[in-house]
Amino acid sequence: MAVDVPDFIDLERHRELAGRGLSQPIRRVLIALTSAVLILGLLNVFGQRPDTLTADSAKAKLEVYAPAHLRGGILYEARFTVFARRKLNHVVLLLSPGWAESQQMNTIEPSPAAQGSRDGDLYFTLGTVPKGQVYRLFLEFQVNPTNVGRRRADVALYDGNTRLLAIHRTITVYP
Amino acid sequence: MDIVFRGIFVFVFLYVLMRMIGRRELSSLEPFDLILLIVLGDAVQQGLTQDDYSLTGAFLAIGTIAVLQLVVSYANFRFPKLRPVLDGEPIVVVQDGKPIEKNLRRERVTIEDLAAAARKQSIAKIDDVQWAVMETSGAISFIKKQDS
Repeated sequence: MAVDVPDFIDLERHRELAGRGLSQPIRRVLIALTSAVLILGLLNVFGQRPDTLTADSAKAKLEVYAPAHLRGGILYEARFTVFARRKLNHVVLLLSPGWAESQQMNTIEPSPAAQGSRDGDLYFTLGTVPKGQVYRLFLEFQVNPTNVGRRRADVALYDGNTRLLAIHRTITVYP
Repeated sequence: MDIVFRGIFVFVFLYVLMRMIGRRELSSLEPFDLILLIVLGDAVQQGLTQDDYSLTGAFLAIGTIAVLQLVVSYANFRFPKLRPVLDGEPIVVVQDGKPIEKNLRRERVTIEDLAAAARKQSIAKIDDVQWAVMETSGAISFIKKQDS
């Protein structure tokens, strides 16, 4: 003997799934969107794989190796390499304020001869770099969790007051 | 403020994720699922409070999630039309001893899974089942034939 349909079960809706035509496509779209975000993550859209940017002139070459995409809380390193093609007497590295905005600067190695502010930018005096030699400066950071958005993180290389090179870049911090 | 926003985002994301992955995954809690649950909890916590160890931060995070859960629960109760979206709907998977393949496939449930669920309710044969309904929680309810 057959049993009646259980209470609150509508055979049209719960057996034949009438009226649920959109639920599977919506689910597939959501799965596709989630997968797309994961693929973007693999493609370094959300950081923090470093990029190398270079600027070159007859006197020097400047290389910045640092990630452009970051996330709140992560630790990362920025490496600045100065290649002297001629003797540089008074090397100064000038960083735009975006480098320090809502970020912990944990370490600067080697310690610069002097550091301070020049018209709102951060400057690091690195001293003399003989012709053909390389100077590497390592900065270690941690991003504050509330630091979200995009800001300029330019780098300029000076010899005394003479601007030799500049690299224009931005950093994007994801929550 | 940040923690409240993070709490809202995490809640909405987890809610959509749970609806998206389907009820089959929700119903089973095998050893691996248990480990996954702990890992998931840890990952969520990191994103929610990050380096905030304060009692205030914990209060805000837990409070946000609790209030949102209450809101969803109230909406579910107050507005029946929202229930299929928020909670899903039951699906009939067996009628008169015959599995409904289309519905089983939709929920990624095999005949073996169905038989195992029946055995848990002391039902040896699917033939003996009049109705089997996969509930919104992912559990399968069985109603035996009256003459079996």
